[in-house]
Amino acid sequence: QRFRFCGDLDCPDWVLAEISTLAKISSVKLKLICAQVLRDLLGEPIEYDKILKLTSDAKLESGDVKATIAVLGFILSSAAKHNVDSESLSSELQQLGLPKAEHASGLCRSYEEKQSPLQDRLRACSLRLSQLGSVRWRVDYTLSSSELQEVNEPVVHLTFNMRDRECEKMTAIPVTLSANKFWVLLAGEALRGVAV
Amino acid sequence: MLLVLSVEHRAHLGCLPRAGDAAVGELGRLALEQLRRGAAPRACESAARKLNISVDIIQHGVEGLVYLLTESSKLMISEADFQDSINVLGFSDELNKSLLQLYLDNRKEIRSILGELAPRLPSYHSLEWRLDVQLASRSLRQQIKPAVTMKLHLNENEDRTAQVLQTDPATLLHLIQQLEQALGEMKMNHCRRIVRNMK
Repeated sequence: QRFRFCGDLDCPDWVLAEISTLAKISSVKLKLICAQVLRDLLGEPIEYDKILKLTSDAKLESGDVKATIAVLGFILSSAAKHNVDSESLSSELQQLGLPKAEHASGLCRSYEEKQSPLQDRLRACSLRLSQLGSVRWRVDYTLSSSELQEVNEPVVHLTFNMRDRECEKMTAIPVTLSANKFWVLLAGEALRGVAV
Repeated sequence: MLLVLSVEHRAHLGCLPRAGDAAVGELGRLALEQLRRGAAPRACESAARKLNISVDIIQHGVEGLVYLLTESSKLMISEADFQDSINVLGFSDELNKSLLQLYLDNRKEIRSILGELAPRLPSYHSLEWRLDVQLASRSLRQQIKPAVTMKLHLNENEDRTAQVLQTDPATLLHLIQQLEQALGEMKMNHCRRIVRNMK
């Protein structure tokens, strides 16, 4: 059976298995655990102790607690990834066996509140090879050189600062251009009547 | 299979009977710690002080024990072979028994440590992907050129490296087909027979 929140594919077996674990937790506590998982997906630090306290009533083992966090993370991020609205998500979760009255609706309410920020965050995390940080420039005027006594030409220095996403390092790439080359870069074609 | 102990090795292990039985337990413990965590000169010094023997002899004894244990565990020699191999050292029966016990108790752990020393190829960590469509470039306007960009994250000796790959969808489908063929090979009779015999 195909589910929209799984990208129109079958639901993974492990998710099906963990739905029954979710049903063991009371709906109020489930909503609070959802809030913590959403914090983690949005990049804020997760408070694992709070989750442990919330699940202690349901007497879940440590493996089950981690499985709960994993399945909630999967459901919420996958639903955001495939842009599923909260009603469809609610009905699909009920088809998987999550009790409607409080569990599914509570989960979907938390999802609905944070759907846009979650999608923005997922968009920002998408694969990007490099990013332009900033550009600095300077224009010099060459008066003379060892080759020619009177040069009198402007020269443009550009520095592109590239940011690498993984190591948070900025690499500087300096470029020096003559005025005519700079015109080509800017306008896409040489100034009329000037050889480049 | 018998272990052949070199003259130097025998000389190093020769300190054991002098040290006494209690000391052999201590030296055995030091040898195992050295296998797990690397050489610990401080521990050897304190053992030397306790047993009233010079540090060098203790160090040699510990190293001799380490080599004896790793060679025996590496070759997985039987009890009888181990006993015959250390008989040449001319130790007392009790000492031989405690050495044998030391070997038998710890050989599984030593084998797992030795297993991790093999050289490793870079292994898969994660794969990020992105589907782009090129609409125009400086040379040509109004194009439609899809491309899949992937970043393969690998674990290489505890370092994280990344490799960027780009391909068009047709090549990607061909790549997937090749990989599925490779997986399919596991289901052929030849592979099945070998896997059954290895179990």
